[in-house]
Amino acid sequence: MKIDTMRRAIGLVAVVLPMTWMAGTLAAQMRAANAQAFGVSVNTPTVNQTSPYAVLPTGGALAEDQGQTVTVANFVTAQDAFAIVTGDADPTYGSNAVSSATLGAVSLLNGLITTDGVVAIATSTLGDGLVASDAEGSSLSNLIVNGTAVSDPAPNTRIDLPGVGYVVLNEQSATGDGVTTSGITVNMIHVVLQQPILGVLGQVTGYQTVGNIIVGSATSSVN
Amino acid sequence: MFKLRNLAMLTAPVAIALTAWSCERQSNAVAPAIGTPLAHFFQFQCTPFKMTGGGRIDFPPGTAEKNPPASHEYETFGAHVMDQNGDCVADQGALEWVDHRPEFRVNGSPLNLHATAITFAEQATDTDCKDGAAHWGGKLRVQNTGQEDLDFEVWDCDNGEPGVGHDGFAISVPAIDYAVMCPDPALPPAEPTCTLTGGNRQFHPTH
Repeated sequence: MKIDTMRRAIGLVAVVLPMTWMAGTLAAQMRAANAQAFGVSVNTPTVNQTSPYAVLPTGGALAEDQGQTVTVANFVTAQDAFAIVTGDADPTYGSNAVSSATLGAVSLLNGLITTDGVVAIATSTLGDGLVASDAEGSSLSNLIVNGTAVSDPAPNTRIDLPGVGYVVLNEQSATGDGVTTSGITVNMIHVVLQQPILGVLGQVTGYQTVGNIIVGSATSSVN
Repeated sequence: MFKLRNLAMLTAPVAIALTAWSCERQSNAVAPAIGTPLAHFFQFQCTPFKMTGGGRIDFPPGTAEKNPPASHEYETFGAHVMDQNGDCVADQGALEWVDHRPEFRVNGSPLNLHATAITFAEQATDTDCKDGAAHWGGKLRVQNTGQEDLDFEVWDCDNGEPGVGHDGFAISVPAIDYAVMCPDPALPPAEPTCTLTGGNRQFHPTH
């Protein structure tokens, strides 16, 4: 009986152990690094434009795009826009993805928001026992929102724009579980265009989003 | 069957020897003499490796502290290089560099350097870059003016994670008297690299 039990145990280990090893190997082989960046994006019912735009190719390495002057109707005018993305995924040593979007002078909505320098950086790393993402190096220079100077806005700073909607500065959103995956999206200026929702008596009952303007966006993720 | 077995026994050692020879570290290779030798980054070896990533440097001074945003005294870049065979010849590579300093604007735009060929890549063995360091370079174009075929070299340091405050990067383009280098030996991580204020460099062997 004991011998039979031992035989069954050995047989079970012989079946299960390779499966766990294969799962670990498959996970390592499925490493990925993703990165994208753009200078300006405008999305409304009548306009849909993103420029310049760079996305990391499959297999990693580097991609870039640039635009000396980017103009989108009367929404945005931007100078010296660069989008640069790099990254690599290695089954043994881990993954790394860095994206950046930089711009010079920017004017939104006929001067409602102006800045003379935008840097968005999204960094994601898996390796050396670390799985993490950050927005270090991101910045805004000489930013003025609706006539008020704003210096070094904290992540996800929201300012209302009466008659327009609101703006989120240094918008950061994290993804991943922080154990095997990690990612971040950084939008340095994100204007949400809104229109009021009117009730039967003409009163404002709420607001609906009718468009988005994003300046300086960088996204990266690893697993 | 007997002959096949003999053939396998004869070819197996040969195959093993060939594989070992391909992975054998080569003697020190010599990169093209472009710039001035420095205190670190003068001992190299040819081994298969890859270096990826990018980010931001605030030069001058090139320390871990960001300059005030309104100064525009910063540079951003992406850089990738790989020597797959361990022969100090780069098999893949790319560099995109933007200098945002007002005094370096050319033809109304930030100075923008774009590599057109990566010709050499060697691992540096005399730095304190924890995860690896490399010296590499090739040819680039100044996008602002169209000047082509300019030699450039890069000093590259992966000093662990995260990259900010730890990793380093430096570049020199002698033909246009341009360099972002931090030669202070007291400045981490390893001179002449300047410290990253954003982004990350990642070094690893390729086999």
